[in-house]
Amino acid sequence: MKRIKVIPERCSGCRICELTCANYHYGVMNPKKSAIRLFSLYPNPIIRTPIVCRQCDDPECQKSCPTGAIVLTDGILRIDPDLCTNCLACVDACPYGAIFVHPDLDTPIKCDLCSGQPRCVRDCPKHALVLSDEVAGQPSLVGKSIEYGGMEELTVTDPEGKETTLKYVQGGRPR
Amino acid sequence: MKPRGGYQGYVLDVDLSSGRATRREVPDEFAMKYIGGRGYGARITWDSLVPGLDPLGPQNTLTIAPGPLNGLLIPSSGKTSFHCISPATGIYGDSNMGGSFGAEIRLAGLDGLSIRGRADRLSYLWIDDDLVEIRDAGHLAGCGATQTERTLKDDLGGEDVRVATVGPAGENLVVFATINSDWGRNAGRTGMGAVMGSKNLKAIAVRGTNDLPVYDIEALMEVSDRAFEYLRSHTSMDIWQRQGLMTVIDYANTVGFLPTRNFGDAFFEGAEGINGDVMESGYKISDSACLACPMCCGNVCLVKEGRWAGTACEGPEYETAAMFGSNLGVDDFPFILKANQLCDELGIDTISTGNLIGVVIEAYQRGWLSPDDMDGMKPDWGDQDSAVRLMELIARGDGIGKYLARGSRGLLEKWPELARITVQVKGLEQSAYDSRVSLCMALAYGTCDIGAHHTRAWPISKELEMGQEWGLEEKVDLVMYHQAVRPVFDMLGVCRLPWIELSIDENLYAEMYSAVVGIPFTLDDLLKRSKVIYDLTRAISVKLGVRRDQDYPAPRTFKDPVQSGPFEGKTADPEEYEAILNMYYERRGWDRKTGIPRRETLISDGLEDVAADLEALLEGE
Repeated sequence: MKRIKVIPERCSGCRICELTCANYHYGVMNPKKSAIRLFSLYPNPIIRTPIVCRQCDDPECQKSCPTGAIVLTDGILRIDPDLCTNCLACVDACPYGAIFVHPDLDTPIKCDLCSGQPRCVRDCPKHALVLSDEVAGQPSLVGKSIEYGGMEELTVTDPEGKETTLKYVQGGRPR
Repeated sequence: MKPRGGYQGYVLDVDLSSGRATRREVPDEFAMKYIGGRGYGARITWDSLVPGLDPLGPQNTLTIAPGPLNGLLIPSSGKTSFHCISPATGIYGDSNMGGSFGAEIRLAGLDGLSIRGRADRLSYLWIDDDLVEIRDAGHLAGCGATQTERTLKDDLGGEDVRVATVGPAGENLVVFATINSDWGRNAGRTGMGAVMGSKNLKAIAVRGTNDLPVYDIEALMEVSDRAFEYLRSHTSMDIWQRQGLMTVIDYANTVGFLPTRNFGDAFFEGAEGINGDVMESGYKISDSACLACPMCCGNVCLVKEGRWAGTACEGPEYETAAMFGSNLGVDDFPFILKANQLCDELGIDTISTGNLIGVVIEAYQRGWLSPDDMDGMKPDWGDQDSAVRLMELIARGDGIGKYLARGSRGLLEKWPELARITVQVKGLEQSAYDSRVSLCMALAYGTCDIGAHHTRAWPISKELEMGQEWGLEEKVDLVMYHQAVRPVFDMLGVCRLPWIELSIDENLYAEMYSAVVGIPFTLDDLLKRSKVIYDLTRAISVKLGVRRDQDYPAPRTFKDPVQSGPFEGKTADPEEYEAILNMYYERRGWDRKTGIPRRETLISDGLEDVAADLEALLEGE
């Protein structure tokens, strides 16, 4: 099954993924209507990574939905707008925080892989998003997606002898 | 003409003294004439001028305007401009910033913010779509810029919120204090941060959810796809993503215009210690981009060992590396990153800071500043400790920092004899290109509307590559074209680097603007409007006292020959400069003797009220 795999160490934080997602799905220029969101941390660790649905095999969103509106077809979990009551249970249930809400819309915003040809993957200038059979690690929380990025640690001692541990991701050229 | 897209139609007027905020409708004619971004900022600044205005007083109006292409899915649409009367120069000032802050203002349903008055205590402005609040920021007093951004994002809604903030230097009214957003994108020049500080405004936090209005989204995407494809397939894209503007260090040094030891020299023997290769191989940990930019020129770097181990920040870029590297005689990359991080956190401009520290070192070395002036420091070229100490003194306004915090003007008021070695125009410290080796660059610095900055024209590279034998006519043409086309990017709210660095066709931006507003515009139409705004910013500064005698590059340009490198022995020729300045005024329609825009020039710009105002002023003189 194809899923969007995120490679955080390649991400530059440009948010082209957000803009192209909203444009494709809603025909508007509005990153707040996208199903993929840039998540940035600073200053410790310094990291930028998009958060997007992983099309889980055991989807908490689907289990949480009281009306059965989250439907699996062709390996893609989609929200059926006719069944959805916009109760936002799925938003709370998603362990990755990868389902989003916008006040103008009648349903939550969830990645549907653009029916197989995700725009974000096509448009990412850094190839930080890949359509892949592999699952990106086995994380259970949003924060774990950062761990996947291969955090490295650096301990420094200031002149007073106080130690601080910095975490960072060693990025580099697209592989 | 009525725009059918592109504009939210409102500017938020905020009066911090009364605590009142109003959404003011922007007339269509205003939008079509001034376009947005810098155009809006210049006009609103003109309209808010009052006699005897103190740049750090409540009457100075800070206008933040993103521009009608900002935030769209087109290359590099993350630029937003800040405008006011500059506390560094006392005349028109503006500065622009990348990142996502401007787009958030547009998503909140606004084409700009216009902030005046002074809050009675340290505050921040919170704009959440239609909700506007002035909130207490006492808990953020003295906080570093990125630390403030972190705190406010965590308090208000994380990544949905964009924050622009000043560091301690802004609160302390350092006249080259910056406004910082997105962890290290700065509106760096002309002291925008000090103006925020003077208003007791620590930060502006914005969250917006509205769509950005576009008339013909399909037509826009057709142009945008072409633009993205052009950049994607460009042969320089790879090196650009890897090193960004840091590639310019080697280029500048090879060609011979890298400022070295307070602009005394234009060639640095230690450039290999501070160039893009050093950064990429030893320190870079990640790319960083502004909104919608495939070029990601930002480099996040970390020092992993040695004295500055643990120093991490977004940067440096060319100007910072040159001003804290070659210009201070430092060939050690970790120090540059340390200086960059300190400037970001304190909220001071890396160009002005590096420039002024260079002046102090040279003055001390020449014996023009005494040990008593230096609070015990003995600053020397390559001296990292003194530089770090000076930065801290500047941000706090302590010791010699008390004078440096007031920029070149403050320094020269205290020590007028330093004028000879202070590289500035109109009170703004020169950015990192030598002005002796290129007459075009000297003219660009002399006539830039905010002072010695390359923002309006950067003709040095073209002149050195192909224009050495050019006549003055062609040189004026080049500077004037730059001064017209570069501000177009600032008006639209997009970055000019795809054009400068990867030579994207500037006509594409007219096509995009046409699709967005639903009215056909050519590049020429936009250039004409840009010229109007150049006359308008000139009129503002004329009203505040600028005349021909201030349109000259720093004394060093004519007096001190380049000491080494390809241009060894070169100075600019003062007679040639007089001639090119005359020609420049002629072409602009400005009076040759005074440098004041002629009445008929302003009338043909459609600035009748400005013409009348200037005429009344000049009659009174």
